[in-house]
Amino acid sequence: MSEHGQRPRRRGQGELEALVLSALREADGPATAGWVQERLGGDLAYTTVITILTRLLAKGAVTRERAGRSFAWTPASDHAGLAAHKMRKVLDAENDREAVLASFVTGLGPDDERLLRELLGRSGSEGED
Amino acid sequence: MGVFVFLPLVLPLTAWPVARLAEQHLHPRTATRMLTAVAATMATCSTLCLGLVMVVGTAQLPGNPLPDGWSDPEVRAAVPYDEVAGRAAIPALCAVVLACARILWRHVRTRRRAHRALAGLPDTEVAVLPDGTPYAYALPGTVSHRDRVVVTTALLGHLAPAERRALFAHERAHLTGRHHRFLLAVRLAAHANPFLRPLHTAVSYTTERWADEEAARTVGSRRTVATAIGRAALASRPAPLPTAFASPGPVPRRVAALLAPPPAPGRWPAVFTSVGLAAWGAAAGTAVSAMSSANSALTLFSILRAATPL
Repeated sequence: MSEHGQRPRRRGQGELEALVLSALREADGPATAGWVQERLGGDLAYTTVITILTRLLAKGAVTRERAGRSFAWTPASDHAGLAAHKMRKVLDAENDREAVLASFVTGLGPDDERLLRELLGRSGSEGED
Repeated sequence: MGVFVFLPLVLPLTAWPVARLAEQHLHPRTATRMLTAVAATMATCSTLCLGLVMVVGTAQLPGNPLPDGWSDPEVRAAVPYDEVAGRAAIPALCAVVLACARILWRHVRTRRRAHRALAGLPDTEVAVLPDGTPYAYALPGTVSHRDRVVVTTALLGHLAPAERRALFAHERAHLTGRHHRFLLAVRLAAHANPFLRPLHTAVSYTTERWADEEAARTVGSRRTVATAIGRAALASRPAPLPTAFASPGPVPRRVAALLAPPPAPGRWPAVFTSVGLAAWGAAAGTAVSAMSSANSALTLFSILRAATPL
């Protein structure tokens, strides 16, 4: 495995996350890691499933609650939630995001907030004249 | 030829006053197009000049692959201070090429990554992301992806229905106007010659203004667009932005511009007004820069050809 280098392995992880998440979504209510492993046909080691679930937890894609001696896992977000998370990662990685993506508003400077409130307040008080 | 050879490297200094006047007085569409054209022309000329100075200045260095005739004293006489200038031009040109390649690569990569992040969503023009951080932007399409408007639920939550329409109209204007191409062009130009940086800042602002004006036309109310921008900016306020200058940032200026009467549609103004001086000054500066670069290039080219043993 290790001679394959970093890239193919990382993509594999993304696929596994999607696999585990979709399996979890098919459960009726919270499911254990063992149930997910079984659902996936036993191709994955139990520890691998735990690792992937933990990673999804860090991404906010699943939640868990204690059930006896293990955890019961629930999918927290749908595709949109996962897309939102991925997009945040893309934007955070781009330290100069305005360089590529023209955002609706840029940040406000120290005096900008006061100025902006003044401008909008004035526009509001002029009313529907 | 004298120091005229170096003119294209320094002429972009004229960009600063021109950019200021244009962004304040011209219609944002005209200003964007004009400033981008100025930036692209001046950057091309400056890079060409750098390349020619490098060729002449380095021809006499031992071990170079250039023809021996190019190191002739007569050829070197065409460029003042040829040794110093030539050697300085090598790292400068390398830096320009590297910086531009990096910008292009990152541009393509970020767009691709953003499209990939949206891959799981239905293929609609507007992608609404459930996210607590308020943001919105226009994501230009690629070969295999369509143009998209990305907006978070947090931002939509801060806006009234009419303001949401203004937001979408603004982002669509970015996409239909292909504003990312202007932005990429001025960004590349600013890295080809640092004197062109004011043009980059100016075009970032004028493209936003252009989209604001389009949005105001679409929703039929300048005030709605102004309040949408204001609310969006106040909602995303915690975004850290260390600014060293106390001058108003782009957002209040955009709002103020929208609360003022609409700008006159893009016609070339008369010469003896401040607007006219800006526009015509830019045109003249660009023409002089282009002609002087072409002149330098042609002269150097003919000298080099005459010195090349056939």
